[in-house]
Amino acid sequence: MITPEKIKVLYIDDELNNLNAFKATYRFDYTVFIAQDIPKAYEHLAAHADICAVLCDQRMPDKTGVEFFEEMREQYPDPVRMLITGYTDVESVINAINKGHIFRYIKKPWTDVDIKSAIEEANKYYSANSLLSNKNKELKSAYEELGKFAYNVTHDMRGPLLSVIGALELAKTMDSLEEVKDILDMMDGAVKKLDEFIKNMHEYYNLKRSELIFNEIDFNKVVADISAFFRIGGKMDNVQFNYHVVQNEVFFSDEIGLKIILNNLMSNAFKYQRRNADNKFVDVSIEVADNKVTIIVKDNGIGIEESHIDSVFKMFYRATSAETGSGFGLYNVKDAVTKLNGTVELTSVVNEGTIFKVIIPGKQNVTN
Amino acid sequence: MSQTKKLPKKLHFIVIDDSKLDCFIAEKIIKNTGRSESITQFLQAQEAIKYIAAAPPPSPDCRTIILVDIQMPVMNGFEFVEAFEKLSESITSGYTIYVISSSINENDIHKLQSYSSVKQFLNKPINSNMLASLLV
Repeated sequence: MITPEKIKVLYIDDELNNLNAFKATYRFDYTVFIAQDIPKAYEHLAAHADICAVLCDQRMPDKTGVEFFEEMREQYPDPVRMLITGYTDVESVINAINKGHIFRYIKKPWTDVDIKSAIEEANKYYSANSLLSNKNKELKSAYEELGKFAYNVTHDMRGPLLSVIGALELAKTMDSLEEVKDILDMMDGAVKKLDEFIKNMHEYYNLKRSELIFNEIDFNKVVADISAFFRIGGKMDNVQFNYHVVQNEVFFSDEIGLKIILNNLMSNAFKYQRRNADNKFVDVSIEVADNKVTIIVKDNGIGIEESHIDSVFKMFYRATSAETGSGFGLYNVKDAVTKLNGTVELTSVVNEGTIFKVIIPGKQNVTN
Repeated sequence: MSQTKKLPKKLHFIVIDDSKLDCFIAEKIIKNTGRSESITQFLQAQEAIKYIAAAPPPSPDCRTIILVDIQMPVMNGFEFVEAFEKLSESITSGYTIYVISSSINENDIHKLQSYSSVKQFLNKPINSNMLASLLV
C-alpha cells in the first residue's frame, strides 16, 4: 500500500492561543488548517475540497459552532463536523448535535487522546462515505449509459427492420421483376447492417463481461485471419491492401481484444474510402519491440472532420452518413485498448485519409 | 401544429433520411400518391438545409412537403428542424414538415410537439395510404 496522505483537519476557534496550541500539537500527524473566524474557515473549505474533519468551538463572537455547522452543511456536506465546547448543559448539547448533524462532541479542555481518537474515527466515517458517494456516482453514470444504450439499441435494431418491412410491403405492389430485384438488393443491405450491429454489440458484451485471457500472440496469423475475412466479404475489392509485421519476440496478450481492435480499424479503413479515388489503399503495420506492440492502420479515404475527431470514440457517435456504421466500432476499439492498458490516437485529414496508432504493452510473467 | 389549408393538387417533396432504402421506399410511396411534381432526396440533413436556404422563395400556390427522419448522424432530425426554423419566413412558409421515425421514445415525440413547423409525427414504415390521407 502507498503511504496514505495525511488527514486534513480544520480547526476554528476565536482564541488565537487555542489555535496555535492545536496546530503545534497535531501538525506532525495531520495537515492542520486553522481559522479564527467563519470567513477564514470558508476560505479553507473552498481551497481544500478534501478536508476530512472540521472542529469548531461552540462559543464564537458572531455565531455559535452549531449555527456555523448548520450553515456549512448546505455547501460542504462531506467533512465530518465535531463540536468543541466547555458547555456543560447536556440538553443544549444534545439539541446541538441533532440540529447540526454533528459527528462528535469534544469537551473543553480537550485531551490529546480525545482529539486523536475523534479525528481517527472521523476519518473512517469520511472515507466510508466518500467510497459510497463514488460508488453512487459510478452507479448513476452506469445507469445513464444503460438508458442511452437501450434508446439507441432500440433505434438501431428497429431501423433496418422497419426498412425491410416497408420494402416488403412495397415489393408486393411491384409488377416488374427488375424493380423487385433492386429492392431486394437494398433489403440485403439493411439486413446486413442489422447483422453488423448485432455482431458489434456482441463484441461490446464480450469486452464488458469477460476476463482477459492472455496467450502467445502471432501477429502474422492475426492479420492473416482478419484479412482473409475481409477478402471473402469483397471489402477489399479495388483497394490495395499492404501489411507488414515485424515480430522477433514472444508477445502475450488477449487475442479477442486485439482482434476487436484490428478488425474494427481495418473494417473502417476499407469502408470509408473515397468512392471515385483510383489509388485506394489500406496499410497495416505491426511492430513488436521491447514487449510492446505498435499497430498502425492507415488509409487514404474520406478522413474525419477535425470537429468530430474528439467524439469518434463515443458510443453511438457517427461522424458521417456515408456508408453504414453502427456507432459502436471505435467505442469498442477504445474499450479494448483501455482494458489492455494501451493508448490509441488518430490523425486525419478530410479527403486525404486517416491514421490510427495503437500501442499496447505485452503481458509479463504469464504463467500457464 | 399549423392550421389546415387546402393543399394544391401538385406538390414538391423533399425526403431526408440517412438510409438509402428508406429514401427509396419514400420515393415510391410518394409517386404512388400521384401528387408529386418533384421528389428530391437527401442522405444528409445539412445538405437539405443548404438546398432549402438557396432555393428561390416559394410561390403562394406551391407547397413542398418535407419528410425527415429523426436519428441521423452529423445533423439529426431535431437539429434539422431547429436550423429550418431559423430560416426567414418567406422561405419556411412554403414548406410543411412531417417527421418520420422508428422512435418509440415518448420524449422524442413530446419534443417534436414543441416545434411549430412540424405538422405531424409518423411512425415507420410509412405506406401509400398513410401518406395519401395526409395530403388532402
